[in-house]
Amino acid sequence: MSKLRFTFDGHDRTAAPDLSVAAALTECGTQAFRRTDSDAQRGIFCGMGVCQDCLVAIDGVPNQRACMTPLRDGMQIETQIARPKLTAPPAQKKAAKRLTPAVLVIGGGAGGLNAAIAAREEGADVLLLDERKVPGGQYFKQSASPDATPLDPQQADGKALLRAALDAGVQIQSQTEVWGAFDGPEIMASDPECVYAIRPRALIVATGAYERPAMIPGWTLPGVMTVGAAQTLWRSYRTLSGRRIALFGNGPLTAQVALELANGGAEIVLLGEAASSPWKRTQAATRMLRSDPRLTIKGIRMLAELRRQGVSLRHMTKPTKIEQTDSGLWVSYEVHGRTKQVEADAVCLNFGFQPQNEILRLLGTKMRFDSRYDQLRPERSEMMETSVHGVFAVGDCCGLGGAPAAAVEGRIAGRAAAGSKVTHTKEQSELSSHRAFQDALWQVYAATPVQLETVTPDTIVCRCEEITKRVLDDAMGNGHTDIGAVKRATRVGMGRCQGRYCGPALAGYMARRLDLDVQDLSFFAPRIPIKPVDIGTLVAAENLLDQDGSDD
Amino acid sequence: MVPMTDQIDLLVIGGGITGQCAALAAAEHGACVRIVDFKRNAGSHANAGSLHVQMQSRFLRLNPHLADNLESSLPLYLEAVAAWEALDRKLGGVELTREGGLMLADSPEQMTFLRQKAEREAKKGLSVDILDRDALPKIAPYLGSTIMGAEICHDEGKLNPLIANRKLEARLTELGVEHVYDRIIGFDMTTSNPIAKGTIDHSADQIVIAAAWGSGALANELGLAIKTPPEPLHMNITEAGDYRIHHLIQHAERPITLKQFRSGQVVIGGGWSAQAGEGDGIPTILSQSLLGNVALAATIAPGIGGLRLLRTWAGYNTPVDGKATIGPTLLHPRLHLALPGDAGYTLGPVVGQCAAALAMGFDPLTDPTPYAVSRWT
Ligand SMILES: Cc1cc2nc3c(=O)[nH]c(=O)nc-3n(C[C@H](O)[C@H](O)[C@H](O)COP(=O)(O)OP(=O)(O)OC[C@H]3O[C@@H](n4cnc5c(N)ncnc54)[C@H](O)[C@@H]3O)c2cc1C
Ligand SMILES: Cc1cc2nc3c(=O)[nH]c(=O)nc-3n(C[C@H](O)[C@H](O)[C@H](O)COP(=O)(O)OP(=O)(O)OC[C@H]3O[C@@H](n4cnc5c(N)ncnc54)[C@H](O)[C@@H]3O)c2cc1C
Ligand code: FES
Repeated sequence: MSKLRFTFDGHDRTAAPDLSVAAALTECGTQAFRRTDSDAQRGIFCGMGVCQDCLVAIDGVPNQRACMTPLRDGMQIETQIARPKLTAPPAQKKAAKRLTPAVLVIGGGAGGLNAAIAAREEGADVLLLDERKVPGGQYFKQSASPDATPLDPQQADGKALLRAALDAGVQIQSQTEVWGAFDGPEIMASDPECVYAIRPRALIVATGAYERPAMIPGWTLPGVMTVGAAQTLWRSYRTLSGRRIALFGNGPLTAQVALELANGGAEIVLLGEAASSPWKRTQAATRMLRSDPRLTIKGIRMLAELRRQGVSLRHMTKPTKIEQTDSGLWVSYEVHGRTKQVEADAVCLNFGFQPQNEILRLLGTKMRFDSRYDQLRPERSEMMETSVHGVFAVGDCCGLGGAPAAAVEGRIAGRAAAGSKVTHTKEQSELSSHRAFQDALWQVYAATPVQLETVTPDTIVCRCEEITKRVLDDAMGNGHTDIGAVKRATRVGMGRCQGRYCGPALAGYMARRLDLDVQDLSFFAPRIPIKPVDIGTLVAAENLLDQDGSDD
Repeated sequence: MVPMTDQIDLLVIGGGITGQCAALAAAEHGACVRIVDFKRNAGSHANAGSLHVQMQSRFLRLNPHLADNLESSLPLYLEAVAAWEALDRKLGGVELTREGGLMLADSPEQMTFLRQKAEREAKKGLSVDILDRDALPKIAPYLGSTIMGAEICHDEGKLNPLIANRKLEARLTELGVEHVYDRIIGFDMTTSNPIAKGTIDHSADQIVIAAAWGSGALANELGLAIKTPPEPLHMNITEAGDYRIHHLIQHAERPITLKQFRSGQVVIGGGWSAQAGEGDGIPTILSQSLLGNVALAATIAPGIGGLRLLRTWAGYNTPVDGKATIGPTLLHPRLHLALPGDAGYTLGPVVGQCAAALAMGFDPLTDPTPYAVSRWT
């Protein structure tokens, strides 16, 4: 296939078709995409549209997320400066539509796709929105190229599920990002051509999770990214984040991605796991095997395969510092209490997951804190309905549960949202065994979390506003005891990512310092838009008001 | 409940900008001061940092019957920005600038309205001029082509309220002002010193009520028929751009305020409504306000169209009757009111200082007689 031509900061570049801008730049060896207010460089971090650190200017329009923007032939891409000029952008002709589907599903992962199919099978008209070019979510992570052969059964299953949803008559809109949720519920979303105001009869939120990083000095450097970001580069675009890759994390995802990248040709210089060896936790491992023998065996095979690939998996290992040198990234890490160092081109981090519950919190669903997983979970009925009538929630946006549980929850919620009262006891028992598996899995992987208590004062906690731990400590020292006051006093959480990374870390830190229980109010108040939205889109959406004459 | 025993000279109810400035003035005169604050829904924590001086078209439009109140308060607004400049110096900078405020017009009728308004304002001592279309591109190149002209008020400006609030709080702590969390529900006037009753009793020699939306209920306890209904308002902020918008921007007919912080972010507001919170809850965002407010901003200033909207929030404004209320309550001369009325962040420092001055017996920044409590009886 013929290559696409583009420029980066005026230099001619070429790349394969069906890449994101971020993947194309990575293929060309570029890791730094933008500069911050303090002139620090940033690049891909989350790979999924939430961190807002991969911003570039494209064809004169500033602040475009490289990871969410498909590369087009002829694009002129530039490093994003901290403060772009105030010039009116080229006039956009965005359309605006009001939609009223019976069931609206937000998110096309394991949870959302299954929910949509189940609701459709009950006869409801179903609209599913997903912000990615190809839906499938994190587990089924699809290739962005329509003709690519699936990498493995996981990707093939996802392709089949997506096909099944389309065959069932689910209306799927990809590249459509939800950015607003209002009482009603009324959902606001936009794609490159159109902005939507949607009032469904029932809403199913299936927005999944994002990854929890390790806040250590250097975690904001270009080339340091989440494990999921490197996985997306590989699985969706066949792009390696670097030649030499070091991965650090807690849980099976890090090892799985290390294997995928090794199979893809990367040199895995280190795979560090925070927990001790699973063989030392025999009771939990047995429970895991009992609740899901198939998945447990899959995990054991994966570890064997890693060994065959020559990847050394080190347990009780945690990164402590990352520095940029002329030849790459120099990572210091602790293994069994000793400090060692390794050099890599890309460093991947994953220390757990954080539910994407912004829409649920905006709609006011009751949340409770699950201290075992360190996550907020919405209160739900057996039918997956939240405390807000007609609003259902499934999958990892309700706290980590894994893809199999998300699928079952999706089916239950889909039927209920379509008005069916039928319950299947089999599904409830499937769910309990999936949940028992997750519980056992995380007991096997139990490790002391990387918490703010242990990081040095100069460590950046808020990536966006470049706020260090020292500044937060000072604010708390001045008697601020609620997170909103610390936010106003320091600007922590006021940046583009809406406090997605600093928020949960700070909420836990403050609660422990003040000896309080973590609850919904411990976190930053949810704010609209849940992701920055360009002003042209809002101008287009205003036409919707004129249509109903509800303007003030 | 057990009363607090230590001797307080001045108790300030409400820890927003007005209460803090009352406390600051008293503490600087050597008084022992306590602030008791409910820590809910302070307008001072939601506001946008516009330093208003000229009459806001929005207020005139919504409250034609209160136009005289607003007009007669103009001298207080001039004192207020002077008080802010002094505070800016005292606190070591709160990103205050006074590059003026533009009120834009896009029809001949609006130009006529601005001319008449400017004439009235000039009589009250404001420094105002009328600018025609040709004068605008040089000072405000980001404006749209429909704008026909503007009134410029050279007295207006802006500041960063996050910085101001933080520095003010630090200064108060330095001066030994004590912050207590409590909600006051009434008073006991039978003892030698008045007592403000909350979950505990707060006794002091003098009490200043600077509780904005909470002041009405407290004033009613004192036999004053003051209504202070909170007005839930909507705000928007964009990501940072190059610093080009130097003025505070408003419109002669449409509800908008628009300005840029030195940090590059554009703040858009202008009195679009939000949904009142339940009970003491914070107000929530209405989609029509978000869309209407931002779209209006983009029509007036297309130059901001390349930025993305980062966040919205809502808070409670307490406009009262468009005129400040300052001074002792008539039946209880040791209890004082400090209510700025509209544009309360602008007026807070001068109103707070004057109320504290009357309570503690030092010189007020301006003569507060026109704003006395007597008009409420
Ligand atoms: C980065 C990452 C990688 C993972 N990799 C694996 C793996 O390899 N193997 C494994 O077993 N488990 C993996 N997991 C866990 C597993 O993905 C989940 O348990 C499972 O995918 C949950 O399914 P879900 O439907 O709840 O969410 P997801 O599969 O995450 O799907 C959520 C979907 O919602 C969309 N979405 C989110 N917000 C919006 C919005 N505002 N507007 C529009 N669309 C939106 C997203 O694009 C996404 O497609 C991973 C998790 C993460 C976070
Ligand atoms: C969104 C928004 C934007 C605004 N923008 C501007 C602007 O740009 N420029 C401008 O000049 N003005 C602006 N205003 C108005 C301005 O913010 C307020 O008028 C001003 O902050 C009022 O200050 P205050 O100190 O009098 O009261 P507040 O800041 O409202 O503080 C009152 C305090 O009293 C407490 N309280 C209430 N009742 C009790 C009680 N019974 N016991 C104890 N404590 C109590 C409250 O909890 C609160 O903390 C804006 C307002 C809003 C909502
Ligand atoms: S990498 Fe693109 S938003 Fe995080």
